[in-house]
Amino acid sequence: MPSIDDVTNTPDELTDDDAEALLEEADLVQDMTGEVCPYPQVEAKKGLQELEAGELLVQETDHVPCTENVPRAVGDDAEAQVWRSGDATYRIYLRKRA
Amino acid sequence: MVATLLVAAVVGLALGAFLQKGRFCFVNAFRDFFAYKDSRVTKGVLAATFLTMIFWGIAYQFGYYQGFWTPNWGLTGLVGGFIFGVGMTYAGGCASGTLYRAGEGYLQFWLTLLFMGVGYAGFTVAFPTLERTYFEPLTVGEGASLFTVTSVPAGLVGLAVALAGLLVYATLTGRASTATDFGERADVAQLTPAAFLAPVAGLRGFARGTNAYFRGLVRAWRHPIAASKQPWDPRTAALGITAAAVLWFTQVSIVGVTGPEARWTGYLLSQVGVDAGSFEYWGSILFQGQGVGVTVDMVMIAFVIVGAFLAALWSGDFALRVPKRRRLPNAVVGGLMMGAGSRLAPGCNIGNIYSGIAELSIHSFIAAVGIVAGVYVMTHWIYREVGCAI
Repeated sequence: MPSIDDVTNTPDELTDDDAEALLEEADLVQDMTGEVCPYPQVEAKKGLQELEAGELLVQETDHVPCTENVPRAVGDDAEAQVWRSGDATYRIYLRKRA
Repeated sequence: MVATLLVAAVVGLALGAFLQKGRFCFVNAFRDFFAYKDSRVTKGVLAATFLTMIFWGIAYQFGYYQGFWTPNWGLTGLVGGFIFGVGMTYAGGCASGTLYRAGEGYLQFWLTLLFMGVGYAGFTVAFPTLERTYFEPLTVGEGASLFTVTSVPAGLVGLAVALAGLLVYATLTGRASTATDFGERADVAQLTPAAFLAPVAGLRGFARGTNAYFRGLVRAWRHPIAASKQPWDPRTAALGITAAAVLWFTQVSIVGVTGPEARWTGYLLSQVGVDAGSFEYWGSILFQGQGVGVTVDMVMIAFVIVGAFLAALWSGDFALRVPKRRRLPNAVVGGLMMGAGSRLAPGCNIGNIYSGIAELSIHSFIAAVGIVAGVYVMTHWIYREVGCAI
């Protein structure tokens, strides 16, 4: 009986190069700097509703907990990756699943 | 006095650092559980509360304590707790979360703190009226800690309640996991034995999870510098917060946040010429007739901000963050509701959910229900367009 923690781990971290390259192909970019929980979670769910399967949503944020809370909030709806700049800004990459 | 101040500094720094590293936020713990059944922080909050309960019980039993905080109980806990719960969900951070995020450089949460101060001041002005029209009619009984009213040794009481809590937790999680296992086949006959097995399955899951957690902790110790910069499991924060709270309990009191903040408000206003001591609430209740000055718990919560600042700086999470203009109402209205609600209850999420349940205070059980109900209602409002899981 796997526990929920075994199947939903913290999202993969992206390297700087991958993060830049992926940002280029984003279908929707949400600027969430200056926002705090739970609004990025809500916006991510709304954003994914607008996208087709396979399309990419990127959130730019400076709110630390978002890097974990946003991937959790969208759950199985999207595959999540995170990029940490190292100076308190972060990007969350959500690719919508079929 | 110097020794007590040193304890205040150590406890404050430790609390701030552990809150920041564990992102230990009570709004997160309940809101995200309701919204999408994310229970990571919820587990941390439960672990901290029950561990603290056990150790405070033992400390009390052997006489290593200074005092409990047990306000009279009644409907005030529900009303004030509900207002506080709605306020903290709207503000996006609880009393402790606001403090540690202030240390992380969020201007939004400094604004929240400011408006919590306005809430404390407004409450203080209205207190004589509120005492007659609100507190007197809604108060039912005298406050007490269950540790003090039974003849059973407090250490055992704490352990028994914590074990009962674990059993309830195991039953709930066990039922959820067995239900999904059998749910696929949708066979009612098979669900019945599963219901009996739920506590067992839950306890097994708990043991596995705890085991995995400690293995992860040991792995993290192999690269202490790198691991210290990563976000920590909320359960790690729970262990650290428990240690700090036990030290605080043996030396000073239970851990509170909004009480000391309300004292800070009175003190700061007295520094700019307001005769804070002449207000009944500040003069005779918060400062207990000792005069308006800096008390040791005020020093402690100031160090919480410093501890969170240092931890954030170390982890690369510190930055001056300017809020979006459309988020300002959250800080203003949320802060006011937290300030007023925490006085009307009285107590905040730390005083009533963490410390209050850990010290088994009757009032805090009621106030905790009020706070969680407030979070529930507000979460459903914020998620109205996308829906909640619970």
